[in-house]
Amino acid sequence: MSNLAVLPIIIPLISAIILVFFNSKVNISRGLAKLFSLINLSVALYINWYVLENGSIILETGDWAAPYGIILVVDSLAAILVLTTNLIAAACAFYAPNAGLERKEKFYFYPLFFFLISGVSGAFVTGDLFNLFVFFEVLLMASYGLIVLGGDKVQLRESLKYLLINVFSSMLFVTAIAFLYAVVGTVNMAHIAQRVQEVEQQGVLTAIGVLLFFVFATKAALFPLYYWLPKSYVVPNPVISALFGALLTKVGIYSILRVFSLIFVYKLELTHETFIWIAGLSMIFGVIGALSTNNIKLIIAYNIIPAIGFIILGIGVLNQESLGGSVYYLIHDMIIKAALFLIVGVIAYIAGTSDLRKMGGLINYYPFLGWLLFVAAFVLAGIPPFSGFIGKLLLLQGAFKEGEIAIVIIGLLTSLLILYSIMKIFIKGFWGDKDAMGDFKKKPVKGMIAPIVFLLAFSVALGVGAEYFYPIVDSIAAYLLDPEIYIDSVLKE
Amino acid sequence: MIFAVLIPLLIACFIPYLSKIKHKIHTGYFVFIIPLVIFIYFVRFIGNDFTPVRQTVNWIPSLGINFDFYLDGLSLLFVLLISGIGALVVLYSIFYLSNQERLGHFYVYLLMFMTAMLGVVLSDNIFVLYTFWELTSISSFLLIGYWHFKERSRYGALKSMMITIFGGLSMFGGFILLSVITGTTSIQQMIAQSDMILTSDYLPLILILILLGAFTKSAQFPFHIWLPDAMEAPTPVSAYLHSATMVKAGLFLVARFSPVFSGYELFFIIVSLIGIITLCWGSYMAVRQTDLKAILAFSTVSQLGMIMAMLGFGTEAAVFAAVFHILNHATFKGSLFMVAGIIDHETGTRDIRKLGGLLTFMPMTATLALFGTFSMAGVPLPFLNGFYSKELFFDATLGLDAATILSQAIPYLAVFGSIFTFVYSMYFFFGVFTGPKQFNLLPKKPHEAPMGMLISPIVLVLGVVVIGLFPNLANAPFLLHAAQAVNSGVEFHEVSFWHGFKPPLIMSLIVVGLGTVLVMTRKKWASVYTVLPGRLSFNKAYDKLIEKIDSYSAGVTNYYMNGSLKTYMTLILGTTLIVTFIFMLLTNGFALSTDNSADFSVLEISVVIIMIIAAIATIFMNHNVAAILVLGVVGFGVAILFVTYRAPDIALTQLVIETISVALFLLCFYHLPKLKKSTDSAKTKIANATIAIGFGALMTAIGISAHSSNWFDSISEYFIETSYTLGGGDNIVNVILVDMRGLDTLFEIAVLGIAALAIIGLIKYKKNKGAE
Repeated sequence: MSNLAVLPIIIPLISAIILVFFNSKVNISRGLAKLFSLINLSVALYINWYVLENGSIILETGDWAAPYGIILVVDSLAAILVLTTNLIAAACAFYAPNAGLERKEKFYFYPLFFFLISGVSGAFVTGDLFNLFVFFEVLLMASYGLIVLGGDKVQLRESLKYLLINVFSSMLFVTAIAFLYAVVGTVNMAHIAQRVQEVEQQGVLTAIGVLLFFVFATKAALFPLYYWLPKSYVVPNPVISALFGALLTKVGIYSILRVFSLIFVYKLELTHETFIWIAGLSMIFGVIGALSTNNIKLIIAYNIIPAIGFIILGIGVLNQESLGGSVYYLIHDMIIKAALFLIVGVIAYIAGTSDLRKMGGLINYYPFLGWLLFVAAFVLAGIPPFSGFIGKLLLLQGAFKEGEIAIVIIGLLTSLLILYSIMKIFIKGFWGDKDAMGDFKKKPVKGMIAPIVFLLAFSVALGVGAEYFYPIVDSIAAYLLDPEIYIDSVLKE
Repeated sequence: MIFAVLIPLLIACFIPYLSKIKHKIHTGYFVFIIPLVIFIYFVRFIGNDFTPVRQTVNWIPSLGINFDFYLDGLSLLFVLLISGIGALVVLYSIFYLSNQERLGHFYVYLLMFMTAMLGVVLSDNIFVLYTFWELTSISSFLLIGYWHFKERSRYGALKSMMITIFGGLSMFGGFILLSVITGTTSIQQMIAQSDMILTSDYLPLILILILLGAFTKSAQFPFHIWLPDAMEAPTPVSAYLHSATMVKAGLFLVARFSPVFSGYELFFIIVSLIGIITLCWGSYMAVRQTDLKAILAFSTVSQLGMIMAMLGFGTEAAVFAAVFHILNHATFKGSLFMVAGIIDHETGTRDIRKLGGLLTFMPMTATLALFGTFSMAGVPLPFLNGFYSKELFFDATLGLDAATILSQAIPYLAVFGSIFTFVYSMYFFFGVFTGPKQFNLLPKKPHEAPMGMLISPIVLVLGVVVIGLFPNLANAPFLLHAAQAVNSGVEFHEVSFWHGFKPPLIMSLIVVGLGTVLVMTRKKWASVYTVLPGRLSFNKAYDKLIEKIDSYSAGVTNYYMNGSLKTYMTLILGTTLIVTFIFMLLTNGFALSTDNSADFSVLEISVVIIMIIAAIATIFMNHNVAAILVLGVVGFGVAILFVTYRAPDIALTQLVIETISVALFLLCFYHLPKLKKSTDSAKTKIANATIAIGFGALMTAIGISAHSSNWFDSISEYFIETSYTLGGGDNIVNVILVDMRGLDTLFEIAVLGIAALAIIGLIKYKKNKGAE
């Protein structure tokens, strides 16, 4: 059954290749994209069930034994993230035909979409540091393709910055891998972990770890490395922003989670203490960014940063509650960010503008959309009984246990401001007179609403039904806390 | 019990359907039944031998978050207030809101609030309590913003939400600390383990966080500012949420946690002080208002302060007086809000300057207002419940341990606040119902309200009178249990109208005497408000804060998000350089030895020197072609190095890539913009150079250190051994690429494919666009 591990990577890859051939037939492309995304989703579901029942799936690709060949490791963390990724992909595949992509759909939107999913899933399941780099390249290249799709002037301008910064960080990534290989003589993550442990992360190893951290932090958009993010995320179509916001930065933070719970865990007082500082600064500056603008897409884009701050907080604190909180928050944030980008996409579409100052009274025409945004605001701010609450509760409990009071206070204040930043959209955009926007013409949005409801339903379920999800996340946290389990499962010692 | 809590929310799901027939049957009639049923269900619990009831329904047991409902005396008092006043308010709203309004929304929010509020007062589990707590804030937000097309409503709604959710979040922080310290999520178990909390280092923090929650919700100074703006809500809402129930959630919270904190000095100081300041400030400010509802809002602020202060005193007498007054306040303030609503409804204005002489036109309303205001003022008459609780309050202020300045000052402040309470009560009644008639100023011709609208305030005023006449009626079976839940030492004692010529009575008489004088001379001393508060305004502070949050964040963000790639790269490189360097130092990372290095040949050294010169030269090139060619030198240099290291295939690859990229550059150089001479200042240039050189040096240092820290055998030995036996190829590089790490290669190919697709997309899309 270990071949299961390759399916989340290979199915999207094949889907993408098939879709290249149907590029000019938009209707067939749409249908196939929906179909493939559902196949992916069901496979991901099955893999989750399988992993929960039978433990991690380890695949030695090409039958080259660990640690020599490339090993795919679908453990419970990777499985659940692959599942979340495919949930979002499915929602986006159903949203895309209604997203106003127009001609862009004919220019390899769907192939790029599935390449992106393949890269993201690959990054989650690989157990090889160099292979992780390769999957980063796949998802980045697909994202370059998606971000320039359409080729507007502003798109090209922002994409260039996005591309250059990411090319630089990829270069740093390979360099850091080379350094690490020079020291430990291997690129298999379990093997690296074992060897770093043997020498107690002495000497230059911590610095190499920090270099890797900066690589991932640039992708994850942590303070102070997120400059490229906000503007480049708002220039493409909302469905692309949703994919980016939900998946790309999360791959970065996932890599930090993996590397700094598995490999570099022997100088906690230096590395992980720094993470807590970075967490606080990311929260503050991220939310300040969200409050600084009247562009609704930009508000959501900036809100990515404090969320990543919350997740890194859990990694920094590194106890069972906090890691559980990080994982819970990661899943929660992937879903809600996708939903929010899709929601503001609809709002910008119906209002014909992203500028909040030109909106008003939309609830008179789109009450349901208004309430979706309203609920999403509370989900995002971590107000119970929604998904953000459980993650936040665990994170803050974990932080308190280690006596990190200041960061908890910052986290709580940030939550308030996050709520404010989204409620601004509700109050200014939705409340108000019927004729606040002059002679308003209603546009049909039905096909765009269903995927949003689908995603929000999961957000609510993750909160209200936490009893079903939390034990899984808790076991993931316990698993992450003990690197030996991962090492043993891969190296079979 | 869980059913009783959730039933309003469940019914709320059907309201949108029921509201479709609102033109036939006012939706309120359906809603009215719900609080009535809940009231009847809970009223059975009243009795001398009441014992707390507990019910648990699991929600997230693995996190200790469950619906642990715990009905003790304190909860019972609040539950009956919520359902009782709730029923009356819904009844009143049927006549207040016409069926032209969006009744569906109104009642859904109201029912949502009912569930939330019942949940707050019944939950023993702190996190469930917090959940319901935030839900009250949310429903309050929606109700204040009910008429969302009005600017003031939107403003008031946002303000109330920001302040109450701020408090909610800090309370949540306090709760998390409590749960971490005690290891439980049950309030009753925390009370049982209060030693653990009282000896914790975090005690002051916990206290402040929880009190922030209570103070914001109960509109205590200086967080009271949201309450007057909340008056934009329809009047039934003001009567219900913003006077009788929700604003008392803060009091409930303090009362609930009193058994934990009561022995703690800081608790007494903060709660009493804030309470008494709120009492004085609220009543002082109420006199200045011109809107009837604003008067009542400040009056509510002041009364909440009074109860808060009593909870802070924590003595047996004070706690009993507090629960007694919670009940009394709900009766007279509820009726007064309804009266204000009636006046608004029947005259078209709430501006007290335009009103006057309504006594003959609205005799019923006037009578109701008379009882309400006089009870609120604490006028010593045996049929007004307000007098009794005020007496008990004065008594409690005198019963404090007089060791501190605060406890000595409290009785005086209490009298001061009560004088102004008397003044605004009289101002309210006489200002509206007596004096000159100015009907030309009114939008409508005044007339008595319909009977339906009068029922609810009549019931409440009957409450005022019945409690006034029989003050001990609810004492033993009801209020005593509530007080005992707060302070187990409270014992039954008779409340009586006349208990001798004692200090509390003297205080009451001073209040009435001085109050009357102040009422008479109000116009003469009104100028005092230009001194205090004068220009001091907490509202302005809030407005400024919100405004500043927006403008500062825009300022801060635009400062560094200036859109310049150069700035971004400088910051990214600079941060990486500094942090990594510090880490290298802290972990003794530098291991700069050349022991393991191979010997350098002359060829290698010369190639490297040429490469270095070429790399540096690139920066100074002002012409595209020159820059490209010089850059090419670096690339070809690398290829030569590969040759010297006997890696011909890699050298070949490098040569091909380098040739193609130079060729490509030259091909599109026509389209590239001309390189401009750098216009950066010398300072920036030096900074950039420092970062660049520093970064290069650091990477070199880490590279050398990594090379010198060669502690393990490389896995490459395995590849050399197995390349032929397992891989079937002599060329290891080939076997690695296509077999051992075939997956990498597959996806690197995919990357190339994606790049091709992206470029085709970009070019073709542009082309087609031009054609259209």
